[in-house]
Amino acid sequence: MVLSRTQRLLRAFAAWAVVMLFVFPIYYWVTLSIKLDREIFSIPPKVFSFETSAKSYEEVFGISLGFEEGLAVLPGGGDFYMTPRLWDSIVIAVCSTVLAIVIATLAAYALSRMRFRGQHHFVFWILSTRMMPPVAVAIPMFFIYRDFGLLDTYQGVILIHALMNMPLAVLLLKSFFDDIPKEIDEAALIDGASRFLIFRKLVLPMAVGGIAATAVLCFIFSWTEFLFVLTLTQTGLKTVPVVSSTFVTSTGTAWGNMAALGTAAILPAFVFILLVQKNLVRGLTLGSVKQ
Amino acid sequence: MVTRALRAPRFMVSDHPLPWLLPLIVILVVFAVYPLFYNIYLSFHEFAPRKREIVPVGFDNWAQLFADPRMWSAFYVTLFYTGVCLTIQLVLGMAIALLIDSDDPGFGFLRGLLTLTLVIPPAITGMMFLLMQDAQFGLITWMLQSLGILTQATPILATPSLALWGVILADVWQWTPFMVLIFVAGLRSLPRDPFESAMIDGANSWQIFRRITLPMMGKVIAIAVLIRGIDLFRMFDYVFVMTSGGPGTSTYTLSLYAWQQTFSFIKWGYGATLSLFALIVILVAANLFVAIFKVRW
Repeated sequence: MVLSRTQRLLRAFAAWAVVMLFVFPIYYWVTLSIKLDREIFSIPPKVFSFETSAKSYEEVFGISLGFEEGLAVLPGGGDFYMTPRLWDSIVIAVCSTVLAIVIATLAAYALSRMRFRGQHHFVFWILSTRMMPPVAVAIPMFFIYRDFGLLDTYQGVILIHALMNMPLAVLLLKSFFDDIPKEIDEAALIDGASRFLIFRKLVLPMAVGGIAATAVLCFIFSWTEFLFVLTLTQTGLKTVPVVSSTFVTSTGTAWGNMAALGTAAILPAFVFILLVQKNLVRGLTLGSVKQ
Repeated sequence: MVTRALRAPRFMVSDHPLPWLLPLIVILVVFAVYPLFYNIYLSFHEFAPRKREIVPVGFDNWAQLFADPRMWSAFYVTLFYTGVCLTIQLVLGMAIALLIDSDDPGFGFLRGLLTLTLVIPPAITGMMFLLMQDAQFGLITWMLQSLGILTQATPILATPSLALWGVILADVWQWTPFMVLIFVAGLRSLPRDPFESAMIDGANSWQIFRRITLPMMGKVIAIAVLIRGIDLFRMFDYVFVMTSGGPGTSTYTLSLYAWQQTFSFIKWGYGATLSLFALIVILVAANLFVAIFKVRW
């Protein structure tokens, strides 16, 4: 539609205003982590001008950010020392992503290239696991893990996160493989190459971008997952989203520390999501809406 | 050349899909099918505290489920929450998508900014809104009080009639951009011709939106509603960290109720029954939706 200059300006103004409304809570949360405690609780709330402090980060990550002393590692070990929990989150997210991608890539290639009876039902079965309420998996899984000694272990959480990401990974990768012309495979088949060789040497290199985008989304969903970690871990390990609810104590909530942990947890995710902008919508819709 | 490939027996080109699909099938069977059957088994048993083991109880859990007023309350809260969030996010999402679907400078950046809310762990979003809606020093509370909409006597998350709306606000904030991004992608993939002919014929903006944009966006809207609807129906994180179901039972969703019955009240069998009920409702509803709106993957 053709808009006049004024209309375009108005539109730009409205668009910025709306987006800022969505960005504002993030800004407010991030600034919380560098505010002094009494500034957090001031009425009226201080939004744009406040006294800053690195105390929250020092307590949460056990590092000193003071400018006089320079960067130093503090002993760490207070109630809010969270570096090990950040490490748990990274291990779980990375391992479950790798596992999900390896399994899903193989399956997605087959679903994209081969035809078999009941294929439609098979795809729908994968899709329907995406519909299961996590609580309906978490409850039986708790008892199964208890019997197999998998409660409170990395392996247990990694496996369940890989399962959770499986429908997304398979369907999304299938849509990326579908984009690569089948004629390439057929030509190589005639030349005598095996399916696995074609997969490894021809199709995989061409799908690297799509696989990377899928991996980023799997990472983010594992990174932000709450219910499974809450249910299947006790004291041995915890991820950032679950541990953030423990900042609520009987003597009040350590909002500054929680904001520091939250900020540290969302910054890597922000970087990742900006890397996959091009394929984001495709990922969010499990490969069905292309940009 | 192609015909020769077609004539070759299947096994010679090792074209059988089973080896490729086997790892996926194994993980789905072990982590989705087995738990499902285990859950069905649990729903016919209950933990007996005296014996410290689970004993079979037949259909007791299912009978209790349909007679339990708190279950129906949780079911109603879940449906209300899903319906309200879905409606708000659809309307708001479409409006914002139409607003920022532009090639003018800066709009690409704005669309990038909107993706940021999607990667925040919902539990942390819940904590964010818990603070902002705090009765004493919450930013949203303060703004609403300054505007005279809210009095000090009604803290948002501790007032039964308002608490669910407080949770809905967090959900709308985090997931409206999800709709926006999908709709923008949908809008961009529409062909130009129908819009040009409509403009030549003198249709106004509303007519164009109602008669051309909406029908052509049908598939994209259906997929967005399906995915979002599923996630809304099984929502757990926000209510767990923001209200724990309270005050009273005003924010108990089915997922939270099932979880608390299992792990807080040691009603293993009843919790499993509740979670199965949620599973059945969601599978039936999603499959009906797929059939009615002919969603294809």
